Amino acid sequence: MTEPGRSSIDDIIDVYKRDVDRTLIRERLKRTVEERLEDLMDFQQFAEELRRAGRDTTQA
Amino acid sequence: MTDFKALLRALTDAGVEFIVVGGVAATVHGSARLTRDVDVVYRRTPENLARLVAALTPYQPYLRGAPPGLPFRWDTATIIRGLNFTLTTQLGDLDLLGEIVGGGGYDNLLPSSTIIRVFDVECRCLNLDRLIEVKRAAGRPKDFEAVAELEAIREERGPPAGA
Repeated sequence: MTEPGRSSIDDIIDVYKRDVDRTLIRERLKRTVEERLEDLMDFQQFAEELRRAGRDTTQA
Repeated sequence: MTDFKALLRALTDAGVEFIVVGGVAATVHGSARLTRDVDVVYRRTPENLARLVAALTPYQPYLRGAPPGLPFRWDTATIIRGLNFTLTTQLGDLDLLGEIVGGGGYDNLLPSSTIIRVFDVECRCLNLDRLIEVKRAAGRPKDFEAVAELEAIREERGPPAGA
């Protein structure tokens, strides 16, 4: 049962929080804001490459 | 791919008043989640709308996901009659928000924003506490996942200096 002062949304967020990778967060927090945004762009490019590879595979 | 650097520079070079919110703001605070677009809340003054039009016109903004060939014009009349725009541009995807759920407009969010310096430009970004609040208010399951990560980031950071 949900504790007083909390909502079921808090309980849902707590469930999600169990799966948060805190090691990854600690590593991210060591980086500068600019490095974090550069990482995001690299990650986007990587995801785009994977999507393209997936499309090429299904079309072959 | 969205060129965050070029998009932020285009807006700041034109003097647009905006606050970075959403996934990019989460990245600024340390999130590792992938986001594809830049979400900004823009100030709805006539001067700022004119700056917004001038900033993006060279990059051919168009309604994201809409069929090509619609008579969409990127001008102040369009922005005045609308509020939130999900756009695609030559620099990538950009969500221009006049207001956000749980946060209101630019002037409501301004006290909860901080100036960040990134890629040689200065811009405003929603602070972590307010970002968590508006993500909660948005109420989508993916927002709750994001809130879980942002709350973990806040715990890992510890209390602010002087607290």
